Amino acid sequence: MTTLTLSRALNEGLRKALEDNPKALIMGEDVGKLGGVFRVTDGLQKDFGEARVIDTPLAESGIIGTAIGLALRGYRPICEIQFDGFVFPAFDQIVSQLAKMRYRSLGSVRLPVVVRIPFGGGIGAVEHHSESPESLFAHTPGLRVVACGDAADAYTMIQQAVRSDDPVIFFEPKRRYWDKAEVDVDGGLAAALPMDQSRVLVPGTDVTVLCYGPMVRTCAEAAVAAQDDGRSLEVIDLRSLAPLDTATIFASVRKTGRCIVVHEAVVTGGIGAEIAAQITQECFYSLESPVLRVGAYTTPYPPSRLEEHYLPDLDRILDAVDRTFGY
Amino acid sequence: MTVKDAGRAARPAGRAPAKRSPAGDPGQQADSPELIQLLTPEGERVEHPDYPLEISAEELKSLYRDLVIVRRIDFEAIALQRQGELGIWASLLGQEAAQVGSGRALTPRDMAFPTYREHGVAWCRGLDPMKLLELFRGVSHGGWDPTEHNFHLYTIVIGSQTLHATGYAMGIQRDGAVGEDGEAVIVYFGDGATSQGDVNEAFIWASVNNSPVVFFCQNNQWAISEPLERQSRVPLYQRAHGFGFPGVRVDGNDVLACLAVTRKAMQAAREGQGPTMIEAFTYRMGAHTTTDDPTRYRLSAELEAWKLKDPIERVKQYLIRSQQAEMSFFDEVEAEATRVGARVRAACLEMPDPEPLSMFDDVLTEETRQLAAERAGFAAYLDSFVGEEVAR
Amino acid sequence: MSDLKEFRLPDVGEGLTEADIVRWLVHPGDQIAINQIIVEIETAKAVVELPSPYAGTVADLLVPEGATADVGTPIISVNVGAGGEDTPRAAAPAAAEAAVPQEARAQREISDAEDLVPAPPAEGAPVLGATVLGATEPGMVGSPAPKAERQAVLVGYGVRLGTTSRRARKPSAAAAPPSAPAVPAAPAASAAPAAPVNGASGARALAKPPVRKMARDLGVDLSALAGSGPGGSITRDDVEQAAGSGGAPAVPGISGVAIVTPAAGAREERIPIRGVRKHTAAAMSASAFTAPHVTEFLQIDITETMTAAARLRQLPEFADVRVSPLLLVARALLTAIARHPMVNSSWDEAAQEIVVKRYVNLGIAAATERGLIVPNIKDAHAMTLPQLATALAQLAETARAGRSTPADLSGGSITITNVGIFGVDTGTPILTPGEAAILAFGQVKDAPWVIDGELAVRKVCTLALSFDHRLVDGDLGSAVLRDVGAMLTDPLRMLAWS
Repeated sequence: MTTLTLSRALNEGLRKALEDNPKALIMGEDVGKLGGVFRVTDGLQKDFGEARVIDTPLAESGIIGTAIGLALRGYRPICEIQFDGFVFPAFDQIVSQLAKMRYRSLGSVRLPVVVRIPFGGGIGAVEHHSESPESLFAHTPGLRVVACGDAADAYTMIQQAVRSDDPVIFFEPKRRYWDKAEVDVDGGLAAALPMDQSRVLVPGTDVTVLCYGPMVRTCAEAAVAAQDDGRSLEVIDLRSLAPLDTATIFASVRKTGRCIVVHEAVVTGGIGAEIAAQITQECFYSLESPVLRVGAYTTPYPPSRLEEHYLPDLDRILDAVDRTFGY
Repeated sequence: MTVKDAGRAARPAGRAPAKRSPAGDPGQQADSPELIQLLTPEGERVEHPDYPLEISAEELKSLYRDLVIVRRIDFEAIALQRQGELGIWASLLGQEAAQVGSGRALTPRDMAFPTYREHGVAWCRGLDPMKLLELFRGVSHGGWDPTEHNFHLYTIVIGSQTLHATGYAMGIQRDGAVGEDGEAVIVYFGDGATSQGDVNEAFIWASVNNSPVVFFCQNNQWAISEPLERQSRVPLYQRAHGFGFPGVRVDGNDVLACLAVTRKAMQAAREGQGPTMIEAFTYRMGAHTTTDDPTRYRLSAELEAWKLKDPIERVKQYLIRSQQAEMSFFDEVEAEATRVGARVRAACLEMPDPEPLSMFDDVLTEETRQLAAERAGFAAYLDSFVGEEVAR
Repeated sequence: MSDLKEFRLPDVGEGLTEADIVRWLVHPGDQIAINQIIVEIETAKAVVELPSPYAGTVADLLVPEGATADVGTPIISVNVGAGGEDTPRAAAPAAAEAAVPQEARAQREISDAEDLVPAPPAEGAPVLGATVLGATEPGMVGSPAPKAERQAVLVGYGVRLGTTSRRARKPSAAAAPPSAPAVPAAPAASAAPAAPVNGASGARALAKPPVRKMARDLGVDLSALAGSGPGGSITRDDVEQAAGSGGAPAVPGISGVAIVTPAAGAREERIPIRGVRKHTAAAMSASAFTAPHVTEFLQIDITETMTAAARLRQLPEFADVRVSPLLLVARALLTAIARHPMVNSSWDEAAQEIVVKRYVNLGIAAATERGLIVPNIKDAHAMTLPQLATALAQLAETARAGRSTPADLSGGSITITNVGIFGVDTGTPILTPGEAAILAFGQVKDAPWVIDGELAVRKVCTLALSFDHRLVDGDLGSAVLRDVGAMLTDPLRMLAWS
């Protein structure tokens, strides 16, 4: 076991991916010489060369579009979109081409493209650097959408994403890039939890708390605080947003009877809305209270001096826990 | 409907279009020295110093046959749409030479990325025309394997495929497949597409990476109702220079010129000299698609002028005058084209609708549980109706 | 032989809902070829030529020049039969081989040029992996040609027009929700049956959120109940039934009101109105103040019935069932109903009809710990006496145990109330809502009676019949009461009248 930051865990995972897959390539703005603005690709161009770690022109649509072409040629491109808010020029290539080409070809074509996107806020940044657009992609059939919550998962999930034959939108919680954790760098992927499954991070009995990405740590901390209130939270790291691991979710909700979904993304039309609808439908007879969602308000991301009010935190989560017991 | 009838297909509704496009006027830039031509509209063979072309009678006749059959399939498809058998069809009428000339310039290992009008290139690549009709009939979104004929699926979003093609070419580079026997990519797009960001991004990527891709722009003068001058202030082939690679304009109605220019550009790409842009200067004789009404925005006089530059007629004239073909040859080709048309018609009429449950196939390489549940739920729903059998 | 095909006006993709026929280019009797231009139509914007989908002889021009036709209207009929093979003088060149669609299918001979065209599928081979449709006529069933049911738009086939009627569904079509609540250990029906990865699935009681709230309000512990709802979930009725049995002493006749010891010094007790009490109050009020009640009384000598009951008990048919006087009262009432069916009916105010029932669902009023309920025996009229005895016993036991289901409690057509068990002679019973009559059976006691002019001590009881005077007049009510009395006085009458 090694202690690694999440950023470093990604770096190690990418390194392994490039070693294991001769067709794997990394491409994006500033990923080569600079090693990425978050250093996630640090040192990789030096070791794997410019043909495999590509500094691209400043053109997001171009990154994804040419990645599709490379995938058609048999490569496994790992694209980086520098910040969440800059994925939108590439949105058309992602939803009109990357997501649809397999379906369009009746299964002849496969596009094993990974699109890495640092997402989420809480880093004191200017506009467009703190977005959480994951539900836009989860709403697009033909894509797998995942989010790692800690360094250990980052290490295995990035490798699994590269191995997947499907397009994967890979969200990385940028405010957690410097969080450290124990990572089993020698453990093979065979033993790792599959990319499409959720993990019960903290077992509990009173209320199911679903989260992913940056909120995983926040919810784990909330679970500790909840003990003082005499409440046992079961915290589940969803990990996979499309598809959802509903088996794990439903089993937990049937046990606890209460559920809260926590994400930084805007509540309206967010992942929590989809989960709430599914839980209501499938766990109706087990519910003590409605599914509650804790997320951002339905406004554009505010200036950073206000972001702590905008984003969910421990107190907002426990407030929701209180409310769920009020029914 | 023959070429001569193309102009009578729609009578002007009595309203003149807003403006007359100088770019569409064949009298102007077509005479400029940069327009490469090897066969005049009258059917005379001319030479160009940069594009020597040796071509046998058999090859010429084969090209003629391609042109006629491609036009015939297109004609049949329009008729089928007019009879309610296709939802829509994008006609290539007038652009046969650009597509057949460039299509026949490719080697089997080259890869072609079309838009949605390159039925002539599909023909040259050996793709079954019925796969194209499937798409326009609504039976599939294309559904063919690009690797089978090295012909990518039709891309309906304008210009997107230029990036795919460039990425593919970057893959060729990484495979070390650049060289005299190497592979190259050709990507097709129209004059309107040159305004799209993706096309310009592709130019950037191809140039800075020096990728083996030929950008083949069929400038048919119109993007639905918008003439060329709405897309560019400069002739399109000159755009390439701004991105740092060569651009050349060719007479898009001259199958020999298109063949020669494309061959040369593809060979240059194969050998590692990077991208070229070819602007095939041609004309969209029909409507943008069968839902379009060109009489709303262009004059029939323009159409009449371009009829005089018909791509097929000039080849026929040349073959006759140079005595490289007997009259019986033309009859045979006509008969064959009629047979092909009838086969296309029959196959279209028999084309079955896809099974409802096939809607769920091939979304991902591994079906998710959710989708499996949706599929099962839909099957049960279909089964719940009196008289409906659940499809397998 | 004539084989007539019609060509329906298609949507040529220009936003057509209709078009004018400008000029026919052919006439009846003309030979035409496939794709020959046969007509010019004018859309809202331009004139379009339509090519013929058929080869053959023009039979009829169905829409005249100058007329407007809707998309989907047949505009021309063509005889594609015997006359279709001749070479037409068509504008289109070399149309000779453009045969009718059906024949074209048969003409897939291999020619030299064919290998240069991708070979079409062989005759009979599956096309596109599925079976070939039979219909090959454009505009007809099976083709995607837009018929009148689509509204033309500028692109594509057009929008399907709406409809105002549903497609017929098979009887077994799921009325139940797609996923009934799962037994706690299993995942929901719509999820794949994977074992839950994490988290034990506890055995929590299943109940809809509103039912949970009701249980909480009523002080019912869900985990102690067995649910009668789907998937074992607990229903409102389950909760309501459980609500009454919260520790009140089992005194028959005292309804399910929890006896509350008043706090020292309090001058009043307040008991919340809920559960069975609430329901009973509503039913009684509705009945009493809707149906005009008349009650008639008849005192009878029931000695023979008591004797008969005792003798019946000796019979093997009744070895395992209880034979009470109530059994014979019930049998007498059923016989009386057969003689006077109108008494077994209900007043349908909404439909302005009297519904005379041809079955008897015999309700027996039961005082239980939870209160007064009236479960009924379905189709009592069709039962043999032993069956009736069994049904009565089961009914009583179920009611006593608090397990009468909503189905038991509804659908009754007439009621007997045994007030005798309370130690009273008679009463003025209130009709069960929706019924026309109710028979009260009082206590049986020794009393002086006159038989053949002499005093004797006999078993005597009083019968009371309340009836709804909207549909039962005095003569009918009296007749029914009299008949029941006569049968109970002399049980042989039951035999005579059945």
